[in-house]
Amino acid sequence: MAPQLSGSVLSTLRNQIIRTNTHTIHTTAACNEIRKLARLRVVDNSTIGKTAMAEGKPPRCIHVYNKTGVGLVGDKVLVAIKGQMKRGILVGLKAQQKTKVPKFDSNNVVLTDDDGSPLGTRIHAPLPSTLRTILKEKSQKKGTDYTKLLAISTRFL
Amino acid sequence: MNLTRRIACNPFILKSHGLSSAHFRLLTSKSDPLLEPALASSQHSTEARKPLAPPQYRFVYPEFLPDPNRVYRNPIREKLERMDMINRRTQIDIPEFYVGSILAVTSSDPHAAGKTSRFLGICIQRKFCGLRAEFVLRNYVDNQGVEITYQLYDPTIQKIDIIRLEKRLDSELLYLRDAYPEYSTFDLNMEPEILPEGSPVPLNKTMVKLKPRPWEQRWERKNFVGVSNILEIINEKMTKQMEDHKKPWEKYDLVMEYRKTIPEEEQQEIYAEVYSQLHELEIHRRKIKRSRSFIKPKKLG
Amino acid sequence: MSLLLQNTARGCINALQANVSRINILVPKRDKYKVGVPRLRNPEWFVRKRRTVHDDFITADNKTFIKEVISDKFGPPSLIKGVQTYKTELPKDLSTQLQTAEWNQRYKRCGAIARKIGVVPLWRKDGKRILTTMLQIVDNQVVKYIPPEEYQPAKKLVIPPRKKYGCLIVGAESTDPSLLTKDYCGLFADSGVMPKRILTRFFISPQAYIPPGTPINVNHFSVGDIVDVRGKTINRGFQGVMKRHGFSGMPATHGVTKTHRRGGNIGAGGEKARVWPGTKMPGHMGNKPRQARGLTIWRINTKFNVLWVSGQGIPGGNNSVVYIYDTILPLHRRKTPPPFPTAALGSDESLPDNIWSDELHDFKDSTIFYKPE
Repeated sequence: MAPQLSGSVLSTLRNQIIRTNTHTIHTTAACNEIRKLARLRVVDNSTIGKTAMAEGKPPRCIHVYNKTGVGLVGDKVLVAIKGQMKRGILVGLKAQQKTKVPKFDSNNVVLTDDDGSPLGTRIHAPLPSTLRTILKEKSQKKGTDYTKLLAISTRFL
Repeated sequence: MNLTRRIACNPFILKSHGLSSAHFRLLTSKSDPLLEPALASSQHSTEARKPLAPPQYRFVYPEFLPDPNRVYRNPIREKLERMDMINRRTQIDIPEFYVGSILAVTSSDPHAAGKTSRFLGICIQRKFCGLRAEFVLRNYVDNQGVEITYQLYDPTIQKIDIIRLEKRLDSELLYLRDAYPEYSTFDLNMEPEILPEGSPVPLNKTMVKLKPRPWEQRWERKNFVGVSNILEIINEKMTKQMEDHKKPWEKYDLVMEYRKTIPEEEQQEIYAEVYSQLHELEIHRRKIKRSRSFIKPKKLG
Repeated sequence: MSLLLQNTARGCINALQANVSRINILVPKRDKYKVGVPRLRNPEWFVRKRRTVHDDFITADNKTFIKEVISDKFGPPSLIKGVQTYKTELPKDLSTQLQTAEWNQRYKRCGAIARKIGVVPLWRKDGKRILTTMLQIVDNQVVKYIPPEEYQPAKKLVIPPRKKYGCLIVGAESTDPSLLTKDYCGLFADSGVMPKRILTRFFISPQAYIPPGTPINVNHFSVGDIVDVRGKTINRGFQGVMKRHGFSGMPATHGVTKTHRRGGNIGAGGEKARVWPGTKMPGHMGNKPRQARGLTIWRINTKFNVLWVSGQGIPGGNNSVVYIYDTILPLHRRKTPPPFPTAALGSDESLPDNIWSDELHDFKDSTIFYKPE
C-alpha cells in the first residue's frame, strides 16, 4: 500500500472490499500466540505458499506439535493452506521474546514435508539465530532433518 | 557559575524517565537573576561539598536514577548497583543515546555462526533502571519488521555504536510498529554520522504516518506529538472515546508528579556520587577517540 | 411429689442452720488443667518493647543530656557497614571466649537476621542472566545463650526430642534505649549489648555456642553455601479465592450473574453433607512465616554485609526482616567446614570487598566472548 494515500481513504477502501467480498481478503492483526486457527505468513518460495500469500489467503495453523498447544520458535505446526494440510516450522514470532532474540512483526512459517526438509528453495525473511540451536537439537539422524532448512536461509539475526 | 545557574532554573521536580523537549528548553533558558546571590551565599557556607554533576547527566545516564516507587527503594542496594554499573562501564563504552537515536549493537551470540551478531536499528524504548536497564531497537530487514531488546549492562554486549545521535518528539516510539515501514527502515551497514564536539543533540521533528487499523494499541489515547494522521484514520466513535479518555487535570497533579519522579536533591546526591568516575571515563574515551582519528604520517624513504 | 419437695426444703433449712456461722461458696474444681497455669508459656524475652513517650515534658537540654548518656554508655552513634548504629566497644575477653571448635556435620550453627533489600540481576560466565535477592545482615549481636538443660520450650512436648539444642538469642539493629521499656532493656543488661530493635532465637548445638556480645557478620557464611531463608509473607488482607488459591473464576458473560470471581461448589451432599476441613475458601492471605529453602549464595559484599542469594521469591516485601539459616535439605548439607561457631572477630577486615562465585561474571571482568567452533 502506498504511504502517500491518506489513512482514511485506505480504511474506507478496505471496508468496501470486505463488504463486497467477505472471503477474499483477511485483515486481522498477527496473533501474539500461535494456537489453533492462528493466521501465519509463509516466508519461503514454495509454489503453494507463494500463491496462497499472493491470493490473500494465508495459511491457518490447525495443530501445534508440542504439549502446551502454544507454538514457540522452532515448533512444528500443521497448517491448512489452499485446501491442503502441510507441515511447517515456526521461524519467527510476533510474541514478546527474551532479550537478544528478535521479535518480528508477523508470525513466519516455512513449509516442510514430513521429514523436515523445506518445500521451497529460499527463505526471504531473516531468521532468529536461536533457531539454529533449536533445530539442531530437534533433528535426528534418521527421520526429521532440519539442516536443509537452515542451509537455504539468507540471513540470521 | 554557568553550571549553578542552570540548576537554579530547574523546576523543583524533575522527570526521572521520559525526556520531553520542554525540560531541555528549561535547562537552556536563562535563569532568574534574583536567585543567583542566594545560591552564591549557600555555596560559600558549605565549601567542602561534593562536586556537582552537570544537570544534563539525568538525561545522559537516566538508568542511574532508581525506581521512584518507595516500595522498591533501598539506599545500600542502589549504591551497590551503581558500583556494578560503573565497573561495567569501565569495560565497555556505553554512549549517550536517546529514544529516536540509531544504534548498532554488537553482541556475543552462542547461536550465531561467528559467535557474534550485529543489529542496527532505531531505539524505540528505554525501560527500567539500575542493572536491569533495557532498550529496544527496531528496523526493517528484508522487508520484515524486527525488534530486538538489549540489556544495557549485559556482559555479552561487545560494542554499542551510535550511528545517528538525535531525539524525537516523543519519549516512546512504540507506534512505529503500526507506522509505514519507511519510518523504521535503516541500512544495516549505515555509516556513523559524527556530530561536532559540544554541539547540542538535534531534535528530529519527523511526523510519522500510521497505517490504517488494526493497531497494536489505541495510539489515539496516548497524546503523541510525533504522529500526523491519527485523526484521519480513526472513526467518529473512536474520536468521541478519545475525548472521554483525556485527563487534562493530570498536568496539575503535583502529587502524582512527585510520586513518579526522584526529587532534585536526591538526583544531585546520586550523580555527585558517581560524577568523578563517570567524568574520568568520559575523558578517557575522548582521548582514545582522538588518538584513533589521528593518522600517523608515514616516513618517506 | 409434694413429699419430695418437703424433703428438699427441710434439707436446705438444715444446711442453713448448720452453716450459719461460716458461709462457703463452692467453686467447681477442674481436674483437667491446673487453674492459673497457662498452657503456652511465652519465652522470657517476650516483654513489652515500646514505651509511651511523652515528648512534651522533655526540654531540648534534657534531650541532649539523654543523648550524651547514651553515647557515654554505648559509644558514639556511627554508620557501620551501611547501618546506622552505635560504636559499642566489645568486651575485652571476647576473643578468648570465642573459641573455634571442631566442626561436625551433625552440629547446628547459629543463623543471622537480615533485611531483604532488593532483587537484582547478575550474569554467569556463560552469559546467562540470573535473578538474585540481596540480603543485608543488619548489625547482629548475640544477646544471650540458654543451655539445653535450662531452656524451657513454650510447650512441653509429650515425647522429649532426641537431640537437645540450646537457645541462642540474637538481636539486630541498635536503637535508642530511651524509647524502650525498662523490662526490654533489662534483657540486654548482662551482655553489655546495646538494646536491639529485632530479637530472635536460634536453636544451636551446645558445641556451636557463641558468647554474648559477639557480632555476626556476613563472613559467617561463604560464597557457594546453601541457605534457607525465613520471612513473613506480604500481608494481603482478606482475599477471594482467585487471588488466594489461584482459582480460575467464572465467565464474565454468557448469562453469568453475580458469580464471576466466586469459588463455586465446595462439596457434595449425601453422607458428606458438610464442608471438609482444609477446603480452599476466601480468607486472610499473607503475613505468615514461610521459608525459601535451598538458596545458593552467589556473591558477598563484606563492606556492607550483603549477600546475593538465588531467586526472587523470598518471602516478605522489600526492606522486610528475614532470617538466614544453614539449609536443612539433606542433599544440600554442607560437606566442608564453615567458620565454626562463627567467624573470628575482625576476620572480615582482611577479606576483599566483593567475593564472587566462580560461576559468576564480575562486572570488572572483560566482555564475554564465545569461542568459535
